[in-house]
Amino acid sequence: MSAAARAQIFDSIRRGLVRAVLPDAAGSRPTPEGRSSPPSASADALEAFTRALTALTGRVHRAAAVDMVPDLVAAIAHEHGARGFLAWDESHLGVPGLFAALASRGLERVDYDLPFDAASREAHALALAGVGVGLTGADAAIADAGAIVLAHGPGRGRLASLLPPAHIAVLSARQIWPTMPDLLAARPGLLDAGSNLVAIAGPSRTADIEMTLTHGVHGPKYLHVIVVP
Amino acid sequence: MTEASARFHRSVAEALADPHLRQALDRTTGRLAGGLAKAFATIPDAGALRDTARRIRAHTIAHLDQHLDQFERAATARGCHVHWAPTAADATRLVVDIARARGVSLAVKSKSMVTEEIELNAALGAAGVRVVESDLGEFVVQLADDRPSHIIAPIVHMSRDDVARLFEDKLGARPDEVADIPAITAFARRTLRQEFLQAGMGISGVNLAVADTGSLCLVTNEGNGRLTTTLPRVHVAVMGLERIVPTAADLGVVLQLLARSATGQALSVYTNIITGPRRPATSDGPGEPDGPDELHIVVVDNGRSRLLGGELAEILYCVRCGACLNICPVYHHIGGHAYGGVYPGPVGSVVSPGLMGLDEWSELPHASSLCGACRDVCPVRIDLPRLLLNLRAQTVAARMGPAWLRIAMPLYAAIATRPVLYRWLGSLAARLSRMMGHDGWLDRLPGPLSAWTTERDFPVPAPRSFVQEHHAHAPRAGGCE
Ligand code: SF4
Repeated sequence: MSAAARAQIFDSIRRGLVRAVLPDAAGSRPTPEGRSSPPSASADALEAFTRALTALTGRVHRAAAVDMVPDLVAAIAHEHGARGFLAWDESHLGVPGLFAALASRGLERVDYDLPFDAASREAHALALAGVGVGLTGADAAIADAGAIVLAHGPGRGRLASLLPPAHIAVLSARQIWPTMPDLLAARPGLLDAGSNLVAIAGPSRTADIEMTLTHGVHGPKYLHVIVVP
Repeated sequence: MTEASARFHRSVAEALADPHLRQALDRTTGRLAGGLAKAFATIPDAGALRDTARRIRAHTIAHLDQHLDQFERAATARGCHVHWAPTAADATRLVVDIARARGVSLAVKSKSMVTEEIELNAALGAAGVRVVESDLGEFVVQLADDRPSHIIAPIVHMSRDDVARLFEDKLGARPDEVADIPAITAFARRTLRQEFLQAGMGISGVNLAVADTGSLCLVTNEGNGRLTTTLPRVHVAVMGLERIVPTAADLGVVLQLLARSATGQALSVYTNIITGPRRPATSDGPGEPDGPDELHIVVVDNGRSRLLGGELAEILYCVRCGACLNICPVYHHIGGHAYGGVYPGPVGSVVSPGLMGLDEWSELPHASSLCGACRDVCPVRIDLPRLLLNLRAQTVAARMGPAWLRIAMPLYAAIATRPVLYRWLGSLAARLSRMMGHDGWLDRLPGPLSAWTTERDFPVPAPRSFVQEHHAHAPRAGGCE
C-alpha cells in the first residue's frame, strides 16, 4: 500500500507541476545568508538580548566569572523552593565542579534515562514530575527575540528545560546572535546535532482565557538565564 | 440557492447577530493586527526578507517532488518512518493502525489544522483511542463539547467563570483551585501533565519541514508541542505535503517572519525542531535520555497535488501564519465559523474550494471585498485577490452564482459599454435615489441590492457626476483627456 500511495502522490505532483501557475518561481534558488560576522560578545548584543528577554518576563543574571555560577544557581533554586534538579551532564554546562558545589548547598541532581518499554517509561516519567528546577547550558542566544537555543543530545536531555516549573540556563556571552536567520545560516549543523533543537523565548505562556497573559501553562513558569563571560 | 450556500448565508447571519462574538473579534483581530505592525517595525529589511521568503517558497513548490524525495531520504536515514497518504481517509487509517499496533489507548495532541482537516480525532475515537487536546483553549473546548471560536483564541467566547464552572463540573476542581485565571491555568497544567506522562502516543502537526535534514519544525507558546513530541513513546507528525523548505537557512528566513505575522512575537516561545526519534546508545557513546523512541511522519496530499496543477498553485506558498485573517474586514465581521471548514479567512476562501472543490464552497470566494489588505500583509506576498478572482470566474463559468447575478452582470456590461445610455441611466438613477434618500442616505435599496442595506445605509449619489464636474473644471484646451 505504501509504495503505491507514494507513487500515486508523486505522479500527481509531477503532473501538476506541468500546468502549475507559480509566480516568482523561475530563476535560481535564493541562498539566504546571515550576516557572516561571528556572533559578537559586544555589550550591545547582550544589552539587546537582555531587554528582549526581560520584556518576556525572563530573568537575566550576569556572572562576572564562572566560579560565581554555583551560588547564583543555588540562590535561584532556593527561591523556587527546589531541592532536586534535572540537568544536562556537567561537561555540557561549562562550569567545572558545579554538581559538587550544588550538593554542598543542599541541591541533588535527579538523574534519568527514560526506559524503552512503555510501562516502565511511564513510571519513570511520573517520578520526575515533582522535581523543582531544571539546569541546562545554551548553545546560542538570539538577541532580537530574547531567545536561548538548546541543542539536545546525549547527556543533554530535553526534560530539564521542559518539566520543572523553573528553568535555569547557563549562556556564554560570546554566543549571542542578532537574529534566528543569522544563526541558522551560519550553523545549519545545529539541526542535526541531536534529535531536538529548541529556541526558547521566555517562559511558557497562554492568553486563551479572557486574553489575559498567564505563564507556566505547560512549560516552565520561570526562566532564568545566567550569562557568563 | 444550493444547500451549501444557504448554510453559508445562515452562519454569516448568525455571526453578525452575535454581539459577544463581534466584541471578541474586535479585541482579537485588532490586537493581533496592531502587534504585527509593531513587530515588523523592529526588523530593518522586512520587505527584502518577504521577497526572499516568497522566492524560497516559490522555488520549493516548483520542485516539490525533489524536495519531498530528499526529505523522505533524510528523515528515513535518521530513523523516521515516512508514510504517504493520498486522501484524508488514508491518513487517518495510517494513524489508527500505528496506534492499534502499539496498544495505544491514550494519545495527547498539540493543535494542528491538518489533523482537523482529516478529522483524525473522530477516527481515533472510533478505534477506542482517547485523544486529549493539550492547548489550553482546545482542551477547554473539548471538555465543554463546544467548538473553537477563533483559530488562535479558541475560547474567547467564554469568561473565566465559565471555565471555572466547567472544571468544577467535569474535573472535580474545588472552588479555591479555580478562583482566578492563574489558578485555573495551574489546575489545567496539573490535569494535563498527568495525561502527558501517561499517554502512549503524541500527535502533532508540522509548521515546516526541512528537506536536507529531514527535520520537523513546530512552534507553540504553551510548550504543549514540546511535551507532545518528547514524553510519549511514539510521536506521530501529520504534515501537508507542501509544508517544506530546502535547508536550515531557509527555515531561518521563514521563522523570522512567521511569529511576527501570526501574533506579533519575534519568535514564538518555543520553536521546536525535531530531527529523527531519540538517538540510541552506540559503540561510540551513550544515547539520548529522553524523546520518543519512534517517529512517524504522515505526509498528506488530500487534494494538494491537484490544486498544484492550476491557477491556484500559489496558495501552496502559504505558511499558515493567519495574518490575512486578522487584517481582513470580512473576517473581522463574521469570524471563523461562518467560513465553514477548517481554514477561515482569505486563505481559507482559496484553500477550502481549492482542496475540496467549488461545489460546496462556491460562496467563499465572494466573501471578500478584494481590498488587498491580505496580499499586503502576507509574509510570502501571496496574491490572494488574484486567486479569489480566479475562483469567482470559475463559479461564473460553472453557472454557480445566484440567478439574478447571472442576468445582472451581462446587462451591466451591455449598459457600461454604451456611454450615452450609461450616462442617461446613471443620472436617472441619481435623481431617483435623491428623491428617496433622507439626509444624504438611502436606508433601503431595491431587489437583490437590499442585502447591502440590511446592515448599513447607502450614500445618495452626488448631484453631478464625475464627468460633469470634470467638464466644468478642466481647462478647455490643452487639458488632459
Ligand atoms: S496566505 Fe494568509 S495564512 Fe498564508 S502565509 Fe499568507 S497571510 Fe499567512
